[in-house]
Amino acid sequence: MAVQIPEDRLKIARLSRISIVDVLLWALRIGVLGVVIAGTIGTLINGRYGWTQWVDFVVFGLTLGSIYAQIALGYTMVYGVLRLINFAHGDFMMSGAFSAFFVANAFYRSGFLESHPVPALLCILITSMIVSTAVALLAERFAYRPFRRVVGLAPLICAIGVSFFLQQTFRGMFGSSIRAYPDPSWQRATISFLGIEVQAVELLVIGLAVLFMIGLYLIVQYTKMGKAMRAVAEDGDAAALMGIDVDKVVVFTFMLGGAMAGIAGVFYCFVYKQVYFYMGFTPGIKAFGAAVLGGIGSIPGAVLGGFFLGLVESVGPALFLDGLGIPGPYQLRDVIAFTLLIMVLIFRPNGILGERLGKKRA
Amino acid sequence: MSIAILKAPSVSVASVDVARTLRMGLLLGGVGVYLAAVGILAMFNERWIIVGLLTLGYGVLGLVYLVAGMISARRGAGLMTALASGILSGAIAGLTVSVLGLVIGPFSLQSVFTQLNGKLADSLALGLAPLSGLLVMLGIGAVCGAIGAILRFTPLTVRRPLVIAALVTVTAGLFQELIQIMLQDGPLTPVQDLIYEWEGLTAQGAAIVFVVAFILALIGVQISRRRARAAAAKANADSGQSLTKMGMIFLVLVLLPLMGGNYIGQVLLLVGLYILMGMGLNLEVGLAGLLDLGFVGFFAVGAYVTALLTANHPMAILHLNFWVAMPIAVLASVVVGVLFGIPVLGVRGDYLAVATMGLGEIVRVLVVSDAAKPLLGGPLGITQVPKPAIFGYGLTTPIQLYYLTLVASLVAGLIAWRLEGSRLGRAWMALRDDEDVAAALGIDRIECKLLAYGLGAAFAGLAGSIFAVMLASVYPSSFQLVVSINVLALIIVGGMGSLPGVAIGSLVLIGLPELLREFGEYRYLFYGVALIFMMQFRPEGLMPSKVRKRELHAAMGETSEPAVPTARAA
Amino acid sequence: MRPKKLRSWGYSTAAGIVAGVFCMTLAQPFAHAASPVEDPMGVIRIPKGAPVQIGAYWVISGPDTALGEDSVRGAKIAIADLGDKVLGHPVKLNVEDDQCTPEGGQTAATKLAANPNTVIVLGPACSSAATAGAPILWNAGISSIGTASTAPSLTAADRKPELAGFLRTIYSDAQSGANDGKWLYKEAGAKTIVTINDGSPYSSELARVTGESFIKEGGKVLSAEAIQPTDVDLKPLLTHIATLKPDKIYAPLFVAATAQLLRQVKETPGLENVEVIGEGAQAAGALIEATGQAIVGFKLAYPDVSPDAMGKGYPGFLEKYKKMFGEAPISGYHANAYDAAVLAVKAIEQVAKQGDDGALYIGKKALHDALFTISFEGMGGTVKCNQYGQCAQLKSAIYQYVSADPATFSIGTNPKKIWP
Repeated sequence: MAVQIPEDRLKIARLSRISIVDVLLWALRIGVLGVVIAGTIGTLINGRYGWTQWVDFVVFGLTLGSIYAQIALGYTMVYGVLRLINFAHGDFMMSGAFSAFFVANAFYRSGFLESHPVPALLCILITSMIVSTAVALLAERFAYRPFRRVVGLAPLICAIGVSFFLQQTFRGMFGSSIRAYPDPSWQRATISFLGIEVQAVELLVIGLAVLFMIGLYLIVQYTKMGKAMRAVAEDGDAAALMGIDVDKVVVFTFMLGGAMAGIAGVFYCFVYKQVYFYMGFTPGIKAFGAAVLGGIGSIPGAVLGGFFLGLVESVGPALFLDGLGIPGPYQLRDVIAFTLLIMVLIFRPNGILGERLGKKRA
Repeated sequence: MSIAILKAPSVSVASVDVARTLRMGLLLGGVGVYLAAVGILAMFNERWIIVGLLTLGYGVLGLVYLVAGMISARRGAGLMTALASGILSGAIAGLTVSVLGLVIGPFSLQSVFTQLNGKLADSLALGLAPLSGLLVMLGIGAVCGAIGAILRFTPLTVRRPLVIAALVTVTAGLFQELIQIMLQDGPLTPVQDLIYEWEGLTAQGAAIVFVVAFILALIGVQISRRRARAAAAKANADSGQSLTKMGMIFLVLVLLPLMGGNYIGQVLLLVGLYILMGMGLNLEVGLAGLLDLGFVGFFAVGAYVTALLTANHPMAILHLNFWVAMPIAVLASVVVGVLFGIPVLGVRGDYLAVATMGLGEIVRVLVVSDAAKPLLGGPLGITQVPKPAIFGYGLTTPIQLYYLTLVASLVAGLIAWRLEGSRLGRAWMALRDDEDVAAALGIDRIECKLLAYGLGAAFAGLAGSIFAVMLASVYPSSFQLVVSINVLALIIVGGMGSLPGVAIGSLVLIGLPELLREFGEYRYLFYGVALIFMMQFRPEGLMPSKVRKRELHAAMGETSEPAVPTARAA
Repeated sequence: MRPKKLRSWGYSTAAGIVAGVFCMTLAQPFAHAASPVEDPMGVIRIPKGAPVQIGAYWVISGPDTALGEDSVRGAKIAIADLGDKVLGHPVKLNVEDDQCTPEGGQTAATKLAANPNTVIVLGPACSSAATAGAPILWNAGISSIGTASTAPSLTAADRKPELAGFLRTIYSDAQSGANDGKWLYKEAGAKTIVTINDGSPYSSELARVTGESFIKEGGKVLSAEAIQPTDVDLKPLLTHIATLKPDKIYAPLFVAATAQLLRQVKETPGLENVEVIGEGAQAAGALIEATGQAIVGFKLAYPDVSPDAMGKGYPGFLEKYKKMFGEAPISGYHANAYDAAVLAVKAIEQVAKQGDDGALYIGKKALHDALFTISFEGMGGTVKCNQYGQCAQLKSAIYQYVSADPATFSIGTNPKKIWP
């Protein structure tokens, strides 16, 4: 540090080195932007989609997004408190969805689901939340707690192990077949206004998701436990010195995250009506992306990231690729989603709402 | 408490910690119930350890009871008390498991838990009438629990050989097919006839294996104790040991496929490819601290470039020799690695994990997509990739390709080892430990990071290139996210930043599961459990580098133990 | 566990392995007792009372598990039907996992080939695994019979000699796709279609061949779409397809994606009355379970197994399946696996010779040749191999699901045969 490098030499060095990279980065940005613009113009000139279709795309995207967001919340909270990427979070959702399926199926057979939608729905939601929370707490107690003070990647690998374990446990216990979530008539209802027909379930899911997210935000912002949580997220050691029971806060965080995953599981059942052991993996990965996109550790960020990713996946292929005449554009939805994710990270390396990450992870 | 009195009347009852014993019994009973519900028990029951006497399933149940006895017996309390609690908790565990068998039928549990069928109920009742089955199971639990408790009191010099002998016997039973194939039609056929029959070990065979293994292990333990004592006397024992350690690993790696035949060769070939990838990722994650979950992308580039340049297939652009194509493939991977690194230059920590995962996923989807089909063959892949040859001598069998991989790994290992100690390696480590400080010290972050991506990718490209000739084809289905996860897991399980660790991690995480191929889906269950346990017991990895170990213990020491002064200095 | 301890454990284990394996390599093969058969590719000797070992490799892990598991079950039923015995020897089926990937297929095949007692191999279910695995088996003189690997190249007239040991009791995508295209245009009266594939070799080949055949008949493929097998939200794609206004949608997918497709098609404005047409992989009880009510009306092409055409044993076979495994068939390939096992056993019975020592001798080349001479009425239609190893004689039929109750699954009644 003591070595003094002349200012101008430093500048030259920086210029000569960075410029190549910079040029490439700008080429990438311009390239992506060009594809996006060309595709959009192509699609719009093509005029294949009327505005009803665009509204449809947006509704599908928001529905998918609310599921991503709901899962991403758990990711982001656990990360905020423990600095742990909980790879198994998607599988917490899967466990909730399985329990929702079994309850709903029993209600469906007895006719209760058809005749009393609201109490049945409440029952399903609560069961799913309890099961997901229980699984999350068990994982925390037996798999994650020993790592409370371990730096490095061992906790991440352990979380991957938990993910495999949960998937295979559910497969072993309940079989590898795909089950259809029951579909009573009220779930098939549609709402139409201005010539647009929208599935009532989709609106219900979006509405409920927003409701639960607001609830969660209030809990984290205004309850004592929530405040403790934020304190631990800010600085665990300082919080402990202030008399906050860090263990209790971690358990509380996993409870909240598990409950959110349980809700996401029910949403998934409502919209995609399918339950199987591998179902948590892909949404889990996407939600992880969403959490990071929004700025990992930030609750509004996770919500924003989730909706953004859902929208891009739904609208993206039609808007950007359709007009370019690329074969099989819908296969490339993940390409679009991840490309945009990386673009966002180029501009904002700490996510949309993320604050500058501390010097080190953990 | 009454059970304790019944079983061991001479013990002072008060000294048995009943609540704890019950809890342990129930916990381990729960493990037994889990094994049954997941279907492992039923699957294991189809396999003999000792033909006609003991199936793998019952063996595992017995082990569960034994563990119940072992952990509830406490040494401080005296042998008889420990025995009593061992018996009690083993019996409780047995009871829990047989109760599951009893409730399967009446509650028609199969409608929810697919594995809980009548057959399982029968096997949990040991094929007897429900009540007598329950009593016998209780007895077995008690006996196993007692054995567990006694084991706790056996001196280490005897206990360890006992455990080793039991393990060897189970291994001999479990891998009987492989072992029998090796023994068959040779001078060792009499040995085979002595200990095996078609389905597995005979009772007499199991006894022979157990006794022989026990005696050998007894001798081995004595020798290793003596050596350890001698080694402790010498100050520089550690470096000598690590050399012998490396030599040992190397010897096994060279000789094993020659002896084990093509199948072992094939398994080791895969292990070798993962070692190559592991060393590459080790540069990125272990040294430079760049968490990369998209590593499979470079692997895919290496494989596809090799296929495109050499294949005898309409999709191929050239028909080069493998030895020409391989360097090009590696170079292509480096280029992709650097290009891959540029957009994520400013991204740090876990954000990087997502960004790289995204890049890996983009590669995966593009490779399979219809959009890239005219270039890469889409789902049908590229076939007819010719095998390499040296001076007209074709490398066609897995064993030959394995030696190619071994040579490649050695060269790569040498490079990685030299890099570690080089200026660049130290710059990487500085970057890993604190990026801002490293930059302030005049380390060019951009150059360093891009070099890490590029060099890491080179290793993966090399692995991909050999992978393509190994399969004689490339298909997109080989390049899933799980490959990236596996590579990351193996370097961490092996011990991050340590080259022997990469080899060990690859052998444990890639080699062992391959041997369990016939268990299909359950392999991943075992894999997951193994990951959890290994990380809990050795978070620094199986064979960590010394620096890493110190760092980790320093970090843990800050709160739980008094800090080690030397660790602080590091 | 302390590192010291671990190290000494490692030492003892490693030394043990090295010593043991070294002893084994010293072993030189002993000369056999005089064998009653001579064979250029080698003879397998099965001592008296020893099992006849039939190898198998299918995908029994990961997202495609159902595909392979269904085949395992079909083969198990076939062996059970034989009373678990061939020529007085018990039958042992060694199933390995190929993970539906080429490297998995290669490893599994190598393991099976390393067992000198492997007489013949069944499987795999995935074409990529077959391309990588079958040559290895044939290199060891072992014939293999594919049960769901449908890629045309595997039994094409110009196939490489390394594949000469591969046969299959499933028809090729080229055959079924050509039929499907014809049927769509001529019988179903479609003039325009959209095809959807999921990026698997099976699905993309079928979509391509069917599209080509449909165009040749005079129809128009409006768009060839693709999805990922893990996609659950197909509505954007379907909204897009709705703007194209096709007569039919041709979607040869697997269970998970099919279930989503069928349900979401009915919820998409403009597609409520557009029929979806499927293929063999969708003839599965599990599809009913996964789809629910939306399955009613779904049509698919599958070999004609109705009693009046052929495959008289199928209803009984289905009963056994449900009894042994507690559920309706989970994919569409159990009958093909059954036929493969029967074919293998028939060939063994034909060429195996009893020696003076009571052992059974089987010539590998003789066994391979015998496979091509056998013909019988199987569960999935007539089995008779042509010179390129294509053993299934496709007589295609169209079926339609009529009930959403998984218990009613039975090819012929639900899905019900509607053509011819």
